[in-house]
Amino acid sequence: MEHGESDIEALLEIRNLHAGIGDTQILKGIDLSIAPGEIHAIMGRNGSGKTTAANIIMGHPDFEVEEGEVLLSGENLLELEPWERAREGVFLSFQYPQAVPGLQVGNFLRKSVASIRGKEAAKGADFRGELNEAMDTLDIPRSFLSRYVNDGFSGGEKKRFEILQLLLLKPKLAILDETDSGLDIDGIKTVAAGINAAVRGTDSAALIITHYSRILEHVQPDKIHVLIGGQIVATGGPELAMQLEERGYEWLDPKAEAEGIA
Amino acid sequence: MSVSGLPEGDVVTGSFMQAASASSQWILRIEPGFSSQDPVILDIDVKGSSSILHLSLDVGRLSELELITRVRGSGKWFGLLRTGEIGAGAVLNDVVVCLQDEGTLLRVDSIAIGRDAQVRAGTVSSGSERTKADLRYRMGEPGGNLRVLGSILSVDSMHIDHHVEIHHDAPETFSRLTWNSACGGDSRTVGTGMLRVADGSRGADAAQIFHNLLLSADAEADSIPELEVREHEVVGCGHGTANGPIDEDQVFYLESRGFDPSEAKSTLIAAFLNSTLSEMGSDSLHDWLVGLLNSELRTPDA
Repeated sequence: MEHGESDIEALLEIRNLHAGIGDTQILKGIDLSIAPGEIHAIMGRNGSGKTTAANIIMGHPDFEVEEGEVLLSGENLLELEPWERAREGVFLSFQYPQAVPGLQVGNFLRKSVASIRGKEAAKGADFRGELNEAMDTLDIPRSFLSRYVNDGFSGGEKKRFEILQLLLLKPKLAILDETDSGLDIDGIKTVAAGINAAVRGTDSAALIITHYSRILEHVQPDKIHVLIGGQIVATGGPELAMQLEERGYEWLDPKAEAEGIA
Repeated sequence: MSVSGLPEGDVVTGSFMQAASASSQWILRIEPGFSSQDPVILDIDVKGSSSILHLSLDVGRLSELELITRVRGSGKWFGLLRTGEIGAGAVLNDVVVCLQDEGTLLRVDSIAIGRDAQVRAGTVSSGSERTKADLRYRMGEPGGNLRVLGSILSVDSMHIDHHVEIHHDAPETFSRLTWNSACGGDSRTVGTGMLRVADGSRGADAAQIFHNLLLSADAEADSIPELEVREHEVVGCGHGTANGPIDEDQVFYLESRGFDPSEAKSTLIAAFLNSTLSEMGSDSLHDWLVGLLNSELRTPDA
């Protein structure tokens, strides 16, 4: 990605991001620009820095930014606390969502919507209608509301619950960290329908982090970025996912190329 | 005075009971076969420098009810003695909510559970500066089923101490104890669970677990589970305890959903206490208890 491609209309703008955890540098100069209405995907092997990038954008306190900028509609996210970023419109669908025994799903959703979209949005028939519609889209039964957040949920239920939150919180930017892993093909289709409903035809944008091309068949990304060793080594259209599926990552790995094994 | 359910030779508790019953004894008698969808609510408004009450429960066989005992008010010292016999086949939800504004609460329960009776005994405790409670349940007939639940919120300089004793004195008796204490400020909670399975109590099934949520560096929570098992042919007898601070990953998860740090913390404390509250009774009781604890959470500096 060239710096010159970014412009002031970008919803998310990441510039020269260097970050890590403790003394370990994980991201080594990331540049990324996502316009409103676009869906981008980041693909890469385990340990390439995908989840770190997601956590940094959301503001996880364990990660440290050494250099660079992360802007949401021109505002520097790095100066905001995680909850402020959420209220500004950043949403992270977690790879491993936390269980909170004792906190009912219904209450949690109402509080989250009130925090992010305002108290009025979480009240009355309109909210209930919105909730019912989102649950129908994701094939989630009403009894779900009285369960405790992610407590005893199957892998598929956790992922669907994350997407339910995405639909209700209506963020400007949705980051989906391996939301497809652990899902069967029906689950992937359901989750993809949720992502499309949240982004397509809106001014929102999504960044999908994944190992596999399966979900990308159902959520046609505008751009795919390949992250290797903390750097984006390639950017392309949907065809890049097919190439990765066929050839793996090695042909794009600068380290492998240097060693003559690509 | 003779009160069933109390182990013989318990001089301290016995003395307290004698003193209490001499000054003020109320008997709540539930007729056999009585059934009600609405809870029976006993409101105790504590006033003055010291007061004491002996509540004697006589729950008739095959009756079904929810009994809520609420202790409120600003008395300096209050002693509550609750003794009772739960008749054969009765189903009792017995919830005691101790939320004095200040002062000291001394509570003693001594409950005998009849054949095939089912008792859910819930305790919600906060508010008073000092609480010492001694809760004893005896299953002397086969088939007794007991669920003991605690939701304790200890803040500022409170000292909240519960000793829970469960006696399996008959075959095929069942008990579970789950005790959740959230402890903040420089307060201290103590939870002692004594589980006694007598010789001849074949098929007894008992377990207890204490969870302590530490909300500050100066808070202290002690759990002391004790087992005394004299019967070999039991289904199981176990205990466990877990202490820890608020989980930072849970905090981050809630913050990522727009909760500010204070909301995230109070929500997680309420959720922790709600894990036991939600099992204490009907939905209406649960909603009311959650409202009460939320208002307690808003006031103190946990």
